[in-house]
Amino acid sequence: MTLLERVGQAAIVKAEDAGALTMQLWSVLLKLPRVLPIVGGRRRWRSAVGQMFAIGASALPMSGAMALCTGFILALQSASELRRFGAVELVVEVIVIGFTRELGPLVTALSVSGRSASAISAEIGTMVVTEEIDALRVMGLDPVEFTLAPKYLAALITVPCLTILSTLCGIFAGYVFLAFSLDMSLRIYFQAVAEAVILRDVVFGLVKSLVFATIIVHVGCLEGLRVRGGPEAVGHSTTAAVVKSTFLIILADLGTTAIFYLLGWSSTR
Amino acid sequence: MTNQSSARAGDPAISIRGVSMSYGGRRVLDRVDLDVCRGEILVLLGGSGSGKTTLLKHVLGLAKPEAGSITINGVDITCCSQSELSAVRRRIGVAFQDGALFNSMSVEDNVALPLRELTRLADSTIKLVAWMNLIAVGLSDAASLYPPELSGGMRKRASVARAMALDPEILILDEPSAGLDPIVSAGMDELILFLKRSFGVTILVVTHELESAFHIADRVAMLYQGRLIAVDRKEQFARHAHPRLRQFLDRQPDAMPRVAAEEFIASYLGGPRHDY
Repeated sequence: MTLLERVGQAAIVKAEDAGALTMQLWSVLLKLPRVLPIVGGRRRWRSAVGQMFAIGASALPMSGAMALCTGFILALQSASELRRFGAVELVVEVIVIGFTRELGPLVTALSVSGRSASAISAEIGTMVVTEEIDALRVMGLDPVEFTLAPKYLAALITVPCLTILSTLCGIFAGYVFLAFSLDMSLRIYFQAVAEAVILRDVVFGLVKSLVFATIIVHVGCLEGLRVRGGPEAVGHSTTAAVVKSTFLIILADLGTTAIFYLLGWSSTR
Repeated sequence: MTNQSSARAGDPAISIRGVSMSYGGRRVLDRVDLDVCRGEILVLLGGSGSGKTTLLKHVLGLAKPEAGSITINGVDITCCSQSELSAVRRRIGVAFQDGALFNSMSVEDNVALPLRELTRLADSTIKLVAWMNLIAVGLSDAASLYPPELSGGMRKRASVARAMALDPEILILDEPSAGLDPIVSAGMDELILFLKRSFGVTILVVTHELESAFHIADRVAMLYQGRLIAVDRKEQFARHAHPRLRQFLDRQPDAMPRVAAEEFIASYLGGPRHDY
Protein backbone atom coordinates (compact mmCIF):
# COMPACT_ATOMS: atom_id res chain seq x y z
CA MET A 1 0.00 0.00 0.00
CA THR A 2 1.39 3.41 -0.88
CA LEU A 3 1.56 6.24 1.63
CA LEU A 4 -1.25 8.08 -0.12
CA GLU A 5 -3.51 5.04 0.06
CA ARG A 6 -2.77 4.62 3.73
CA VAL A 7 -3.55 8.26 4.50
CA GLY A 8 -6.75 7.99 2.46
CA GLN A 9 -7.78 4.81 4.22
CA ALA A 10 -7.23 6.37 7.63
CA ALA A 11 -9.20 9.44 6.58
CA ILE A 12 -12.11 7.28 5.40
CA VAL A 13 -12.16 5.38 8.71
CA LYS A 14 -12.14 8.62 10.70
CA ALA A 15 -14.85 10.10 8.52
CA GLU A 16 -16.97 6.99 9.05
CA ASP A 17 -16.42 7.35 12.80
CA ALA A 18 -17.62 10.93 12.70
CA GLY A 19 -20.59 10.03 10.53
CA ALA A 20 -21.64 7.16 12.78
CA LEU A 21 -21.37 9.39 15.84
CA THR A 22 -23.55 12.05 14.25
CA MET A 23 -26.20 9.61 13.03
CA GLN A 24 -26.45 7.98 16.43
CA LEU A 25 -26.68 11.32 18.20
CA TRP A 26 -29.50 12.40 15.95
CA SER A 27 -31.50 9.19 16.39
CA VAL A 28 -31.11 9.36 20.17
CA LEU A 29 -32.10 13.04 20.33
CA LEU A 30 -35.31 12.17 18.48
CA LYS A 31 -36.12 9.53 21.10
CA LEU A 32 -35.11 11.56 24.16
CA PRO A 33 -38.61 12.96 24.86
CA ARG A 34 -39.89 9.39 25.32
CA VAL A 35 -37.69 9.01 28.39
CA LEU A 36 -38.82 12.20 30.12
CA PRO A 37 -40.93 11.74 33.25
CA ILE A 38 -44.35 13.10 32.27
CA VAL A 39 -44.52 13.16 28.47
CA GLY A 40 -42.64 9.88 28.05
CA GLY A 41 -43.05 6.34 29.33
CA ARG A 42 -43.06 5.57 33.03
CA ARG A 43 -40.78 2.54 32.67
CA ARG A 44 -38.22 4.45 30.58
CA TRP A 45 -38.05 7.18 33.20
CA ARG A 46 -37.54 4.55 35.87
CA SER A 47 -34.68 3.03 33.93
CA ALA A 48 -33.23 6.52 33.43
CA VAL A 49 -33.32 7.06 37.20
CA GLY A 50 -31.50 3.76 37.64
CA GLN A 51 -28.87 4.99 35.20
CA MET A 52 -28.57 8.28 37.10
CA PHE A 53 -27.55 6.31 40.16
CA ALA A 54 -25.10 4.25 38.13
CA ILE A 55 -23.53 7.19 36.28
CA GLY A 56 -23.94 10.02 38.77
CA ALA A 57 -24.27 8.92 42.35
CA SER A 58 -21.50 6.36 42.22
CA ALA A 59 -19.09 8.82 40.61
CA LEU A 60 -19.68 11.42 43.33
CA PRO A 61 -16.98 10.38 45.86
CA MET A 62 -14.41 10.03 43.10
CA SER A 63 -15.07 13.34 41.37
CA GLY A 64 -15.42 15.13 44.71
CA ALA A 65 -12.05 13.84 45.88
CA MET A 66 -10.44 14.71 42.56
CA ALA A 67 -11.83 18.23 42.76
CA LEU A 68 -10.60 18.68 46.34
CA CYS A 69 -7.09 17.62 45.34
CA THR A 70 -7.10 19.77 42.21
CA GLY A 71 -8.34 22.74 44.23
CA PHE A 72 -5.58 22.29 46.73
CA ILE A 73 -2.95 21.93 44.02
CA LEU A 74 -4.18 25.06 42.29
CA ALA A 75 -4.11 27.00 45.60
CA LEU A 76 -0.56 25.86 46.38
CA GLN A 77 0.77 26.57 42.93
CA SER A 78 -0.83 30.00 42.57
CA ALA A 79 -0.03 31.05 46.14
CA SER A 80 3.69 30.45 45.68
CA GLU A 81 3.67 32.88 42.74
CA LEU A 82 1.21 35.40 44.18
CA ARG A 83 3.17 35.62 47.44
CA ARG A 84 5.97 37.41 45.56
CA PHE A 85 3.54 40.25 44.88
CA GLY A 86 2.10 40.10 48.38
CA ALA A 87 -1.29 39.18 47.00
CA VAL A 88 -2.01 35.76 48.41
CA GLU A 89 -5.72 36.73 48.80
CA LEU A 90 -5.99 36.59 45.01
CA VAL A 91 -5.86 32.80 45.34
CA VAL A 92 -9.61 33.05 45.90
CA GLU A 93 -10.11 34.63 42.47
CA VAL A 94 -7.86 32.12 40.79
CA ILE A 95 -9.67 29.19 42.30
CA VAL A 96 -13.18 30.50 41.72
CA ILE A 97 -12.59 31.46 38.11
CA GLY A 98 -10.52 28.35 37.45
CA PHE A 99 -13.14 26.01 38.83
CA THR A 100 -16.34 27.56 37.55
CA ARG A 101 -15.02 27.98 34.05
CA GLU A 102 -12.65 25.14 33.57
CA LEU A 103 -11.57 22.71 36.25
CA GLY A 104 -14.98 21.84 37.69
CA PRO A 105 -16.40 20.58 34.40
CA LEU A 106 -13.11 19.01 33.29
CA VAL A 107 -12.29 17.10 36.47
CA THR A 108 -15.87 15.82 36.68
CA ALA A 109 -15.92 14.79 33.05
CA LEU A 110 -12.62 12.94 33.36
CA SER A 111 -13.73 11.01 36.43
CA VAL A 112 -17.11 10.12 34.90
CA SER A 113 -15.42 9.20 31.64
CA GLY A 114 -13.13 6.72 33.38
CA ARG A 115 -15.99 5.10 35.24
CA SER A 116 -19.00 5.32 32.98
CA ALA A 117 -17.74 5.34 29.41
CA SER A 118 -16.19 1.93 30.04
CA ALA A 119 -19.20 0.66 31.99
CA ILE A 120 -21.63 1.77 29.28
CA SER A 121 -19.63 0.27 26.44
CA ALA A 122 -19.17 -2.98 28.38
CA GLU A 123 -22.88 -3.22 29.09
CA ILE A 124 -23.97 -2.50 25.54
CA GLY A 125 -21.19 -4.60 24.03
CA THR A 126 -22.32 -7.56 26.13
CA MET A 127 -25.88 -7.00 24.97
CA VAL A 128 -24.66 -7.15 21.36
CA VAL A 129 -22.66 -10.34 21.95
CA THR A 130 -25.50 -12.12 23.74
CA GLU A 131 -27.94 -11.05 20.99
CA GLU A 132 -30.02 -9.00 23.43
CA ILE A 133 -29.99 -6.05 21.02
CA ASP A 134 -31.22 -8.34 18.23
CA ALA A 135 -33.86 -9.73 20.59
CA LEU A 136 -35.11 -6.20 21.26
CA ARG A 137 -35.32 -5.44 17.55
CA VAL A 138 -37.14 -8.68 16.82
CA MET A 139 -39.60 -8.01 19.63
CA GLY A 140 -40.36 -4.72 17.95
CA LEU A 141 -38.70 -2.62 20.64
CA ASP A 142 -36.30 0.08 19.55
CA PRO A 143 -32.89 -0.50 21.17
CA VAL A 144 -32.18 3.22 20.88
CA GLU A 145 -35.22 4.09 22.93
CA PHE A 146 -34.96 1.11 25.25
CA THR A 147 -31.29 1.15 26.21
CA LEU A 148 -29.52 4.22 24.81
CA ALA A 149 -31.93 7.09 25.50
CA PRO A 150 -32.18 6.52 29.29
CA LYS A 151 -28.39 6.59 29.52
CA TYR A 152 -28.19 9.85 27.57
CA LEU A 153 -30.80 11.50 29.73
CA ALA A 154 -29.12 10.25 32.90
CA ALA A 155 -25.73 11.61 31.82
CA LEU A 156 -27.17 14.95 30.70
CA ILE A 157 -28.79 15.42 34.10
CA THR A 158 -26.15 14.01 36.44
CA VAL A 159 -22.92 15.34 34.92
CA PRO A 160 -23.89 19.04 35.36
CA CYS A 161 -25.03 18.25 38.92
CA LEU A 162 -21.71 16.56 39.63
CA THR A 163 -19.96 19.52 38.07
CA ILE A 164 -21.63 21.90 40.52
CA LEU A 165 -20.73 19.67 43.46
CA SER A 166 -17.11 19.24 42.45
CA THR A 167 -16.79 22.98 41.81
CA LEU A 168 -17.96 23.51 45.37
CA CYS A 169 -15.42 20.94 46.54
CA GLY A 170 -12.64 22.74 44.71
CA ILE A 171 -13.63 26.09 46.17
CA PHE A 172 -13.77 24.51 49.61
CA ALA A 173 -10.20 23.22 49.12
CA GLY A 174 -9.19 26.85 48.53
CA TYR A 175 -10.72 27.76 51.89
CA VAL A 176 -8.80 25.01 53.67
CA PHE A 177 -5.57 26.34 52.21
CA LEU A 178 -6.26 29.98 53.10
CA ALA A 179 -7.49 29.13 56.57
CA PHE A 180 -4.17 27.49 57.29
CA SER A 181 -1.87 29.98 55.57
CA LEU A 182 -3.62 33.32 56.24
CA ASP A 183 -5.99 32.38 59.09
CA MET A 184 -8.83 33.55 56.90
CA SER A 185 -12.27 32.99 58.43
CA LEU A 186 -14.98 31.11 56.56
CA ARG A 187 -17.20 34.18 56.43
CA ILE A 188 -14.57 36.38 54.82
CA TYR A 189 -13.62 33.62 52.42
CA PHE A 190 -17.17 33.21 51.22
CA GLN A 191 -17.57 36.96 50.83
CA ALA A 192 -14.53 36.92 48.58
CA VAL A 193 -15.95 33.94 46.67
CA ALA A 194 -19.30 35.65 46.25
CA GLU A 195 -17.52 38.67 44.76
CA ALA A 196 -15.48 36.54 42.39
CA VAL A 197 -18.30 34.35 41.06
CA ILE A 198 -20.11 35.65 38.02
CA LEU A 199 -23.14 34.01 36.51
CA ARG A 200 -21.62 33.98 33.03
CA ASP A 201 -18.74 31.78 34.18
CA VAL A 202 -21.11 29.37 35.88
CA VAL A 203 -23.29 29.08 32.76
CA PHE A 204 -20.17 28.66 30.64
CA GLY A 205 -19.02 25.80 32.87
CA LEU A 206 -22.40 24.08 32.79
CA VAL A 207 -22.63 24.30 29.01
CA LYS A 208 -19.23 22.64 28.86
CA SER A 209 -20.32 19.91 31.22
CA LEU A 210 -23.34 19.19 29.00
CA VAL A 211 -21.02 18.81 26.03
CA PHE A 212 -18.76 16.49 28.02
CA ALA A 213 -21.71 14.41 29.23
CA THR A 214 -22.84 13.92 25.65
CA ILE A 215 -19.36 12.84 24.60
CA ILE A 216 -18.99 10.31 27.43
CA VAL A 217 -22.30 8.54 26.94
CA HIS A 218 -22.14 8.82 23.17
CA VAL A 219 -18.71 7.29 22.74
CA GLY A 220 -19.54 4.58 25.29
CA CYS A 221 -22.70 3.58 23.43
CA LEU A 222 -21.12 3.69 19.99
CA GLU A 223 -18.14 1.58 21.01
CA GLY A 224 -20.52 -0.89 22.65
CA LEU A 225 -22.72 -1.17 19.58
CA ARG A 226 -19.69 -1.74 17.40
CA VAL A 227 -18.66 -4.90 19.23
CA ARG A 228 -18.47 -7.82 16.80
CA GLY A 229 -17.60 -11.37 17.69
CA GLY A 230 -17.04 -12.74 21.14
CA PRO A 231 -16.54 -11.50 24.70
CA GLU A 232 -12.92 -10.45 24.10
CA ALA A 233 -14.19 -7.79 21.71
CA VAL A 234 -16.05 -6.26 24.66
CA GLY A 235 -12.72 -5.72 26.42
CA HIS A 236 -11.29 -3.90 23.41
CA SER A 237 -14.38 -1.72 23.18
CA THR A 238 -14.17 -0.61 26.82
CA THR A 239 -10.55 0.45 26.37
CA ALA A 240 -11.38 2.28 23.16
CA ALA A 241 -14.34 3.98 24.85
CA VAL A 242 -12.24 5.40 27.68
CA VAL A 243 -9.37 6.50 25.44
CA LYS A 244 -11.63 8.11 22.84
CA SER A 245 -13.94 9.83 25.30
CA THR A 246 -11.04 11.26 27.31
CA PHE A 247 -9.39 12.57 24.18
CA LEU A 248 -12.62 14.00 22.80
CA ILE A 249 -13.36 15.70 26.13
CA ILE A 250 -10.07 17.59 25.98
CA LEU A 251 -10.66 18.42 22.34
CA ALA A 252 -14.18 19.65 23.01
CA ASP A 253 -12.88 21.66 25.96
CA LEU A 254 -10.47 23.43 23.64
CA GLY A 255 -13.24 23.94 21.08
CA THR A 256 -15.81 25.40 23.45
CA THR A 257 -13.24 27.58 25.21
CA ALA A 258 -12.04 28.91 21.87
CA ILE A 259 -15.61 29.68 20.82
CA PHE A 260 -16.34 31.50 24.06
CA TYR A 261 -13.07 33.39 23.72
CA LEU A 262 -13.75 34.45 20.14
CA LEU A 263 -17.24 35.59 21.10
CA GLY A 264 -15.58 37.76 23.73
CA TRP A 265 -17.48 36.14 26.60
CA SER A 266 -14.46 35.12 28.59
CA SER A 267 -12.90 38.55 29.18
CA THR A 268 -12.75 39.27 32.87
CA ARG A 269 -15.35 41.74 34.03
CA MET B 1 -55.67 -5.19 3.01
CA THR B 2 -54.48 -7.19 0.01
CA ASN B 3 -51.75 -8.58 2.20
CA GLN B 4 -54.29 -9.81 4.72
CA SER B 5 -56.51 -11.57 2.20
CA SER B 6 -53.63 -13.17 0.32
CA ALA B 7 -52.41 -14.85 3.52
CA ARG B 8 -54.68 -17.88 3.17
CA ALA B 9 -54.40 -20.99 5.28
CA GLY B 10 -52.83 -22.97 2.43
CA ASP B 11 -50.02 -20.47 1.86
CA PRO B 12 -46.65 -21.08 3.43
CA ALA B 13 -46.04 -19.11 6.61
CA ILE B 14 -42.53 -18.20 5.49
CA SER B 15 -41.53 -18.19 1.86
CA ILE B 16 -37.89 -17.59 0.94
CA ARG B 17 -37.22 -17.03 -2.76
CA GLY B 18 -33.81 -16.74 -4.38
CA VAL B 19 -32.12 -15.11 -1.41
CA SER B 20 -28.43 -14.34 -1.97
CA MET B 21 -25.94 -12.60 0.24
CA SER B 22 -22.18 -12.16 0.31
CA TYR B 23 -19.76 -10.63 2.76
CA GLY B 24 -16.44 -9.32 1.49
CA GLY B 25 -16.64 -11.21 -1.80
CA ARG B 26 -17.57 -14.54 -0.19
CA ARG B 27 -20.97 -15.98 -1.04
CA VAL B 28 -22.70 -16.76 2.23
CA LEU B 29 -26.14 -17.45 0.80
CA ASP B 30 -26.61 -18.58 -2.78
CA ARG B 31 -30.13 -18.42 -4.24
CA VAL B 32 -31.86 -20.08 -1.32
CA ASP B 33 -35.48 -21.19 -1.90
CA LEU B 34 -37.39 -22.49 1.09
CA ASP B 35 -41.01 -22.65 2.27
CA VAL B 36 -42.13 -23.19 5.82
CA CYS B 37 -45.73 -24.44 5.77
CA ARG B 38 -48.29 -23.55 8.39
CA GLY B 39 -48.35 -25.78 11.44
CA GLU B 40 -45.23 -27.75 10.60
CA ILE B 41 -41.86 -28.02 12.26
CA LEU B 42 -39.11 -27.37 9.72
CA VAL B 43 -35.58 -28.04 10.86
CA LEU B 44 -32.80 -26.20 9.08
CA LEU B 45 -29.63 -28.26 9.38
CA GLY B 46 -26.16 -27.10 8.56
CA GLY B 47 -22.60 -27.24 9.80
CA SER B 48 -20.62 -24.31 11.11
CA GLY B 49 -20.24 -21.61 8.48
CA SER B 50 -22.98 -23.07 6.30
CA GLY B 51 -24.88 -19.78 6.38
CA LYS B 52 -27.75 -20.90 8.59
CA THR B 53 -27.28 -18.07 11.10
CA THR B 54 -27.13 -15.59 8.23
CA LEU B 55 -30.33 -17.00 6.75
CA LEU B 56 -32.00 -16.69 10.16
CA LYS B 57 -30.94 -13.04 10.44
CA HIS B 58 -32.54 -12.39 7.08
CA VAL B 59 -35.78 -14.12 8.04
CA LEU B 60 -35.94 -11.95 11.17
CA GLY B 61 -35.41 -8.81 9.10
CA LEU B 62 -32.13 -8.00 10.88
CA ALA B 63 -30.29 -8.01 7.55
CA LYS B 64 -31.37 -7.29 4.00
CA PRO B 65 -30.42 -9.75 1.24
CA GLU B 66 -28.64 -8.64 -1.94
CA ALA B 67 -31.21 -10.43 -4.05
CA GLY B 68 -34.41 -12.37 -3.56
CA SER B 69 -37.44 -11.99 -1.34
CA ILE B 70 -38.66 -13.28 2.01
CA THR B 71 -42.41 -13.33 2.45
CA ILE B 72 -43.87 -13.85 5.90
CA ASN B 73 -47.65 -14.01 6.26
CA GLY B 74 -47.97 -12.47 2.82
CA VAL B 75 -45.69 -9.48 3.48
CA ASP B 76 -42.34 -9.23 1.72
CA ILE B 77 -40.07 -8.15 4.55
CA THR B 78 -37.16 -7.31 2.27
CA CYS B 79 -38.92 -4.27 0.85
CA CYS B 80 -41.70 -3.34 3.27
CA SER B 81 -41.88 -0.30 5.51
CA GLN B 82 -40.67 -0.28 9.11
CA SER B 83 -44.22 -0.34 10.47
CA GLU B 84 -45.15 -3.33 8.30
CA LEU B 85 -42.02 -5.09 9.51
CA SER B 86 -43.00 -4.41 13.11
CA ALA B 87 -46.47 -5.82 12.44
CA VAL B 88 -44.95 -8.99 10.96
CA ARG B 89 -42.55 -9.33 13.88
CA ARG B 90 -45.41 -9.20 16.36
CA ARG B 91 -46.62 -12.49 14.92
CA ILE B 92 -43.19 -14.10 15.30
CA GLY B 93 -41.60 -15.33 18.50
CA VAL B 94 -37.85 -15.84 18.55
CA ALA B 95 -35.73 -17.76 21.03
CA PHE B 96 -32.07 -16.91 20.55
CA GLN B 97 -29.20 -19.32 20.96
CA ASP B 98 -28.15 -18.36 24.46
CA GLY B 99 -31.52 -17.01 25.49
CA ALA B 100 -30.75 -13.31 25.04
CA LEU B 101 -32.58 -12.66 28.30
CA PHE B 102 -32.12 -9.28 29.93
CA ASN B 103 -29.87 -9.77 32.91
CA SER B 104 -31.27 -6.86 34.87
CA MET B 105 -34.77 -8.38 34.95
CA SER B 106 -36.13 -11.47 36.66
CA VAL B 107 -37.30 -14.37 34.49
CA GLU B 108 -40.91 -13.36 35.04
CA ASP B 109 -40.22 -9.76 33.99
CA ASN B 110 -38.35 -11.01 30.94
CA VAL B 111 -41.40 -13.01 29.83
CA ALA B 112 -43.70 -10.11 30.68
CA LEU B 113 -41.55 -7.55 28.81
CA PRO B 114 -43.15 -7.90 25.35
CA LEU B 115 -46.61 -7.85 26.94
CA ARG B 116 -45.81 -4.72 28.97
CA GLU B 117 -44.25 -2.91 26.04
CA LEU B 118 -46.51 -3.90 23.16
CA THR B 119 -49.96 -4.44 24.65
CA ARG B 120 -52.29 -2.42 26.84
CA LEU B 121 -53.18 -5.29 29.13
CA ALA B 122 -53.61 -4.68 32.85
CA ASP B 123 -50.64 -5.60 34.97
CA SER B 124 -52.50 -8.43 36.71
CA THR B 125 -53.37 -9.98 33.32
CA ILE B 126 -49.77 -9.65 32.19
CA LYS B 127 -48.57 -11.44 35.32
CA LEU B 128 -51.07 -14.22 34.69
CA VAL B 129 -50.05 -14.67 31.04
CA ALA B 130 -46.37 -14.65 31.96
CA TRP B 131 -47.06 -17.21 34.66
CA MET B 132 -48.95 -19.47 32.24
CA ASN B 133 -46.12 -19.30 29.75
CA LEU B 134 -43.62 -20.20 32.44
CA ILE B 135 -45.75 -23.18 33.44
CA ALA B 136 -45.94 -24.27 29.79
CA VAL B 137 -42.13 -24.42 29.57
CA GLY B 138 -41.82 -25.92 33.06
CA LEU B 139 -40.15 -22.95 34.71
CA SER B 140 -42.81 -21.84 37.19
CA ASP B 141 -40.40 -22.43 40.08
CA ALA B 142 -37.78 -20.11 38.61
CA ALA B 143 -40.00 -17.07 37.98
CA SER B 144 -38.25 -14.83 40.49
CA LEU B 145 -34.70 -15.86 39.59
CA TYR B 146 -32.38 -13.72 37.45
CA PRO B 147 -30.91 -15.05 34.17
CA PRO B 148 -27.31 -15.43 35.47
CA GLU B 149 -28.66 -17.81 38.14
CA LEU B 150 -30.19 -20.15 35.55
CA SER B 151 -28.62 -23.16 33.88
CA GLY B 152 -28.21 -23.21 30.09
CA GLY B 153 -31.32 -25.35 29.59
CA MET B 154 -33.42 -23.13 31.84
CA ARG B 155 -32.27 -20.03 29.98
CA LYS B 156 -33.37 -21.56 26.70
CA ARG B 157 -36.73 -22.50 28.18
CA ALA B 158 -37.21 -19.02 29.60
CA SER B 159 -36.41 -17.58 26.22
CA VAL B 160 -39.01 -19.87 24.60
CA ALA B 161 -41.53 -18.66 27.19
CA ARG B 162 -40.74 -15.07 26.25
CA ALA B 163 -41.05 -15.89 22.55
CA MET B 164 -44.49 -17.40 23.22
CA ALA B 165 -45.67 -14.45 25.31
CA LEU B 166 -47.50 -12.66 22.51
CA ASP B 167 -49.08 -15.89 21.25
CA PRO B 168 -47.17 -15.91 17.94
CA GLU B 169 -48.13 -17.78 14.78
CA ILE B 170 -44.51 -18.53 13.99
CA LEU B 171 -41.86 -19.61 16.46
CA ILE B 172 -38.20 -19.46 15.47
CA LEU B 173 -35.66 -21.31 17.58
CA ASP B 174 -31.92 -20.83 17.14
CA GLU B 175 -29.95 -23.90 18.28
CA PRO B 176 -32.45 -24.96 20.95
CA SER B 177 -30.39 -27.97 22.06
CA ALA B 178 -26.81 -26.80 21.49
CA GLY B 179 -24.65 -27.13 24.59
CA LEU B 180 -27.23 -29.09 26.59
CA ASP B 181 -26.77 -32.53 28.10
CA PRO B 182 -28.80 -35.34 26.47
CA ILE B 183 -31.54 -35.38 29.10
CA VAL B 184 -32.12 -31.62 29.04
CA SER B 185 -31.87 -31.66 25.27
CA ALA B 186 -34.53 -34.39 25.04
CA GLY B 187 -36.71 -32.30 27.34
CA MET B 188 -36.28 -29.38 24.96
CA ASP B 189 -37.41 -31.57 22.05
CA GLU B 190 -40.51 -32.61 23.97
CA LEU B 191 -41.24 -28.96 24.73
CA ILE B 192 -41.05 -28.07 21.03
CA LEU B 193 -43.41 -30.91 20.09
CA PHE B 194 -45.74 -29.89 22.92
CA LEU B 195 -45.89 -26.31 21.68
CA LYS B 196 -46.75 -27.49 18.19
CA ARG B 197 -49.47 -29.86 19.44
CA SER B 198 -51.14 -27.50 21.88
CA PHE B 199 -50.78 -24.10 20.21
CA GLY B 200 -50.56 -25.09 16.54
CA VAL B 201 -47.63 -22.76 15.94
CA THR B 202 -45.42 -23.00 12.89
CA ILE B 203 -41.90 -23.72 14.10
CA LEU B 204 -38.62 -23.10 12.33
CA VAL B 205 -35.66 -24.66 14.12
CA VAL B 206 -32.06 -23.93 13.20
CA THR B 207 -29.67 -26.53 14.52
CA HIS B 208 -26.77 -28.88 13.84
CA GLU B 209 -27.90 -31.59 16.27
CA LEU B 210 -28.91 -34.52 14.06
CA GLU B 211 -30.70 -36.62 16.61
CA SER B 212 -32.98 -33.93 17.91
CA ALA B 213 -33.55 -32.68 14.35
CA PHE B 214 -34.94 -36.01 13.19
CA HIS B 215 -36.96 -36.43 16.37
CA ILE B 216 -38.89 -33.18 16.15
CA ALA B 217 -38.98 -32.37 12.44
CA ASP B 218 -41.79 -32.75 9.96
CA ARG B 219 -39.43 -31.67 7.22
CA VAL B 220 -35.68 -31.18 7.19
CA ALA B 221 -33.66 -28.77 5.07
CA MET B 222 -29.90 -28.89 4.75
CA LEU B 223 -27.72 -25.88 4.04
CA TYR B 224 -24.16 -26.30 2.80
CA GLN B 225 -21.87 -23.42 1.75
CA GLY B 226 -24.85 -21.12 1.43
CA ARG B 227 -26.78 -23.50 -0.81
CA LEU B 228 -29.80 -25.55 0.08
CA ILE B 229 -28.74 -29.07 -0.92
CA ALA B 230 -31.79 -30.99 0.28
CA VAL B 231 -35.29 -30.27 1.53
CA ASP B 232 -37.57 -33.21 2.25
CA ARG B 233 -39.84 -34.93 4.73
CA LYS B 234 -37.68 -36.52 7.36
CA GLU B 235 -38.56 -40.08 6.28
CA GLN B 236 -37.19 -39.49 2.78
CA PHE B 237 -34.39 -37.19 3.84
CA ALA B 238 -31.94 -39.91 4.91
CA ARG B 239 -32.07 -41.43 1.39
CA HIS B 240 -30.60 -38.39 -0.35
CA ALA B 241 -27.30 -39.06 -2.06
CA HIS B 242 -25.54 -35.67 -1.94
CA PRO B 243 -21.99 -36.50 -0.75
CA ARG B 244 -21.82 -33.66 1.77
CA LEU B 245 -25.23 -34.62 3.15
CA ARG B 246 -24.10 -38.24 3.53
CA GLN B 247 -20.93 -37.09 5.24
CA PHE B 248 -22.95 -34.93 7.65
CA LEU B 249 -25.48 -37.67 8.41
CA ASP B 250 -22.80 -40.34 8.86
CA ARG B 251 -20.62 -38.00 10.93
CA GLN B 252 -17.50 -38.42 8.74
CA PRO B 253 -14.65 -35.92 9.20
CA ASP B 254 -13.04 -34.01 6.36
CA ALA B 255 -10.00 -35.90 5.04
CA MET B 256 -7.57 -33.05 4.36
CA PRO B 257 -5.69 -32.00 7.53
CA ARG B 258 -3.99 -35.31 8.30
CA VAL B 259 -1.93 -35.41 5.08
CA ALA B 260 -0.79 -31.85 5.62
CA ALA B 261 0.27 -32.66 9.17
CA GLU B 262 2.33 -35.67 8.08
CA GLU B 263 4.05 -33.58 5.43
CA PHE B 264 4.82 -30.88 7.97
CA ILE B 265 6.28 -33.33 10.45
CA ALA B 266 8.38 -34.96 7.73
CA SER B 267 9.85 -31.63 6.68
CA TYR B 268 10.36 -30.60 10.30
CA LEU B 269 12.28 -33.76 11.12
CA GLY B 270 14.55 -33.30 8.11
CA GLY B 271 12.79 -35.74 5.84
CA PRO B 272 13.02 -35.89 2.04
CA ARG B 273 11.60 -32.36 1.59
CA HIS B 274 14.19 -30.68 3.75
CA ASP B 275 16.45 -29.25 1.04
CA TYR B 276 14.15 -27.02 -0.94
